Amino acid sequence: MLAQSAAKIFQTAVVLFIVSVASFSLLKLAPGDPVMLMLGSEFSQESYDSLQRELGLDRPFLVQYLAWLGNFMIGDWGTSFVSRADIFNFVVIEALPVTLTLTFCSIVLAIVVGIPLGVISAIRKDTIWDTVIAVFALTGSAFPSFFLGIVLIWFLAVQFGIFPVMGFVAPWQDFWLGMYHMALPALTLSTYFIGMIVRVTRSSLIDVMDQPFIAAAKARGEPRWRVVWVHGVRNIAMPVVTMIGLQLGGILQGAVLTETVFSLPGIGQMLTDAVLGREYTLVQAGVMLTATLFIVINLLVDLSYPLLDPRLRPR
Amino acid sequence: MTKKDILTSADHRKILEDRLSAQLGRRTLLKGMGAGLVAAAGATLLPGESLAQQKGHIRIAAIKHIDTLDPHFTFFLSAVQIINNIHNGLLKVTYDGEAVRFEPDLAASWDLEDAKTHLFKLHPGVKFHDGTSCDAEAVKFSLLRVKEGKPASPHAWKLELLEAIEIVDPLTIRLRFTKPYAFLPVALTGSTGRAGTIVSPAAVQKYGMDYGRNPVGTGPFKFVSWKDNDSIELEANPDYFEKGMPKLQKASFMLIDEPSTAVAALVSGQIDGMTDCPMQLVNQVKKIPTVSLYGEIEGNYTYVGMNNRKAPFDDVNLRRAVAFAIDRDTLVKQAYFGLAQQAYSPISPPMTGYYDPDIAKTDRGHRFDLAKAKEFRAKAKNQGEIKITYIMAERGPVGTRVAQVVAPMLAQIGIKVKLELLEPAAWVQRMKDGNFEMLDFDWVADLDPEETIFPEFKTGGSWNYWGWSSPEFDRLCTEASTTIDVPARAELYHKAEDILMDDAPVAMLAHIPIYKVFSKKVQGFNYIPADLVNLHGVSIT
Amino acid sequence: MAINGTTTPIAAARLRRSGMTRKSMFLRRPFFTMALAITFGFALCAIFAPQLAPFDPVAQSIEAMMAPPDSVHLLGTDSYGQDILSRIIHGTRYALLIGLCSVALGAIGGLVLGVAAGLASGKTEWILLRVIDSILALPSLILAVAFIAILGQGVDKVIIAVALSLIGPFARTVRSDVLQVKVQLFVEAAGLMSIPRFTVIRRHILPNVLFPLLVQVTIRISEAILVSSSLSFLGIGVTPPTPDWGLMIAEGRSFVSFAAWMSGMPGLALALLLIALSIVGDAMREEFDPKLRTGR
Repeated sequence: MLAQSAAKIFQTAVVLFIVSVASFSLLKLAPGDPVMLMLGSEFSQESYDSLQRELGLDRPFLVQYLAWLGNFMIGDWGTSFVSRADIFNFVVIEALPVTLTLTFCSIVLAIVVGIPLGVISAIRKDTIWDTVIAVFALTGSAFPSFFLGIVLIWFLAVQFGIFPVMGFVAPWQDFWLGMYHMALPALTLSTYFIGMIVRVTRSSLIDVMDQPFIAAAKARGEPRWRVVWVHGVRNIAMPVVTMIGLQLGGILQGAVLTETVFSLPGIGQMLTDAVLGREYTLVQAGVMLTATLFIVINLLVDLSYPLLDPRLRPR
Repeated sequence: MTKKDILTSADHRKILEDRLSAQLGRRTLLKGMGAGLVAAAGATLLPGESLAQQKGHIRIAAIKHIDTLDPHFTFFLSAVQIINNIHNGLLKVTYDGEAVRFEPDLAASWDLEDAKTHLFKLHPGVKFHDGTSCDAEAVKFSLLRVKEGKPASPHAWKLELLEAIEIVDPLTIRLRFTKPYAFLPVALTGSTGRAGTIVSPAAVQKYGMDYGRNPVGTGPFKFVSWKDNDSIELEANPDYFEKGMPKLQKASFMLIDEPSTAVAALVSGQIDGMTDCPMQLVNQVKKIPTVSLYGEIEGNYTYVGMNNRKAPFDDVNLRRAVAFAIDRDTLVKQAYFGLAQQAYSPISPPMTGYYDPDIAKTDRGHRFDLAKAKEFRAKAKNQGEIKITYIMAERGPVGTRVAQVVAPMLAQIGIKVKLELLEPAAWVQRMKDGNFEMLDFDWVADLDPEETIFPEFKTGGSWNYWGWSSPEFDRLCTEASTTIDVPARAELYHKAEDILMDDAPVAMLAHIPIYKVFSKKVQGFNYIPADLVNLHGVSIT
Repeated sequence: MAINGTTTPIAAARLRRSGMTRKSMFLRRPFFTMALAITFGFALCAIFAPQLAPFDPVAQSIEAMMAPPDSVHLLGTDSYGQDILSRIIHGTRYALLIGLCSVALGAIGGLVLGVAAGLASGKTEWILLRVIDSILALPSLILAVAFIAILGQGVDKVIIAVALSLIGPFARTVRSDVLQVKVQLFVEAAGLMSIPRFTVIRRHILPNVLFPLLVQVTIRISEAILVSSSLSFLGIGVTPPTPDWGLMIAEGRSFVSFAAWMSGMPGLALALLLIALSIVGDAMREEFDPKLRTGR
């Protein structure tokens, strides 16, 4: 057990190392220079040189990488080039909770909407219901999230004034106000998942419904709703959880645009700005954090299998 | 006559110019001193005045990037908009709807002892937000921080001619320059010039390089917090030295990346204003009954830049052909939504005394004349079809719109344009490396002809991306920079412009308006055509 | 196929399919038929775009800027006066091109990496797995932005950037399929019979991995098109004035409140195509996937 954990930790460390090298070199390979961007119209060779030295960007690539890695490991994440924001504070204390709240809300929303739809779709397989649900679920995920977000803003927030347009209120400070502000972004982001959850629920349930234990339950004379909602749904938890774990990378991707459209100060928006502004250390911090999150969530998904599926052991 | 009246009526820039042109004639000097004395006398009455009640919380969307709140290191006007509410300059920019003026701000009076020596008397009893007092020492500290501080301020060049700073008494400071300096009024403002912004020496010592996240000035608002991608919060400075200001209790600049979201938030009442309104949203905003749009043509110009160093645009006739082939009417309508004004030459409308309102009737500058364009094209070295690459990026006032509209126009003179979209960072790099054939760019928020043409086009200048050079142009501009008489200076600049336009390193396009938007609940906003969002007198109901 | 005496599940499905199901499928699944028709419609638009489009997709018109839909411009015009219908018809080409090419490239990359990781053992396997994990852990949109910054912009670059960001998920699926196939008796037998390794891969592994991969492909096409439009939102995707849907939606977003057709029309076209593609993909999968058909 201990050896296994050690191996896992080592694997994670290696993955994070590869990720950090990859993102650092990709960004360095890209043309564009943070110093030039900062100087804007005030560019002059002297101010360029002095700023470059100031930021340590005149050193060779490898030195910069190693310096970053060393500082990062000892917890000194540095400050952003331009706004001199404390990166740890910015990324972990300010941005991360926003993104986690958004992600969590949209997953919950997607599950609450997606699973019932998927179940109905499966038990009414090949009927008009099946198709209507499929089209409904697909419609949501067929629009680019930024477009959907803007349309929702103009309809629900501006036209009808049901929800606020933008902004983030921490739900741990004011839960209901937080949820109220999170409603539209979570709806926008969840459409991406609802489609997928419906799809996975449907196909797994169809699969499960053919299993002998369902036939047995039916034979015992259990009511149909019990057969479906208890025996059936309990057994599709695993593929659904796996899918969610797998798609968390995708969530962050959707979150980038959702956050920008709804002006949520999360990691997605921070990362896009940082990449476009060539804020190397900020990008590194954001990428490392999202990569770690991704790995941790997948580990949790792995660990949850035995809990979710008693059949896993014999298999 | 109250102090305020004197301040608004005293056109110091005009006084400065008059006096210098008259070689310090006694009559004008007396007039100037008189104004200064009255102003100084008025100022002493000030601390006794009762303070205004501050109430209300304004939320304003800041759409553009904010780099730092350190006035001496910022590179962006979007940051100056906020900085200017926290700090004061030695001078400030004012606007009465007709002309831009430069007036004393922290200085109670500003006098000229001779052409190269300026004497400033400060308002007494002014305190920084940290409680330290804003005296001659603080002014000296700030000016030196710009001129020779380490790390070097990018605005240091604005005080290059500053020779000595003398502290006469705690409230009086004398600046000596090596030459008469026509650009000084702009340089010493706390807004676009930035070099004259006064910062708290104690705070600079305390925070060092992190001053930009902990700014401490004398302004009507104190800095409270800055949460990245979220908001910058300010609160009223109850001890502000200008009577009756500020009227607001709190001001929040909401950092919103997506302009259409900001407009939606404005319509729904979630925010009360925008520091900028991108042109594609202007016609939409005009239709919203609950908001007012502020904006005029400001001191700027947009243009198509050509790389003069290499073929095909090393050929002056081809460049001239381009300059006359662009249909500005169509361009203004399609690229700028009909909001901009055709630019014939760089000097723009707010530069009173230098801008010629009747330039359209003269034959100066660039304009649309296809026959002339074809004539020049016929003289070009390369008579075959010329294929060029035009680099563009989603940046600037209208993104890629100019490129998209100009490209088909150049087909008429046998130039086939391939548009290449670049990510903004890569675009900036290509422009600065001179690795391009054609692009469009803009210089904005200029208030003086010197800053609007000289650094941009002087031989070997670091902003001269086009690689253009003309010794005669350089000579005229250098002469103009130490010429104080306005008509004489204007004539020099017009000559310089004519050389520039005839050689056409760039093709002039338009002077553009810059907008601010406020909800009708917001009152007392004083629009200044220098991209400022001064909340000094603003109140909200 | 049945040389080894062991018929693979896929081969079995193929045998069954070829006989009886094909004719009736269109009748049994009317929505599939409809979706297929729509997909074909889009494909036809792509092929015959110049003939079908009433206007030149990049012809600007100062008289007809932001014109609402009327009898001349059936779907209205955009802020340059370009005809939206014509741009949508031409845009079909780019949507399909980006969708198909990037997914194809991504699938090939994923196949190579996935098969290699699945078959390798020891250190090589370990390293390949970590590489796949790393690709998955990197945020893909950020990856795409970085690639675009390096490669430059344009349709071809977008295709490559999107393809690269798809390699990870594909590789992961392929690898797990390879692992399943690898332990099957016929593969082990082939190995024991000292049939060359490459032949084993070609004969036994690939056919069994390709089918699930194709299923993935149908899902990922939508994703690829959406990612490319996201890049346009960030101002770094396809070069304007290319009549690309994502670009049109992104450009029109500022005008949503008073000229909704500018981004709405391409948005609807995009949604229609993606929905149709998904329905077709799902139906094909259900029809031909042995796991779903027989319930094993």
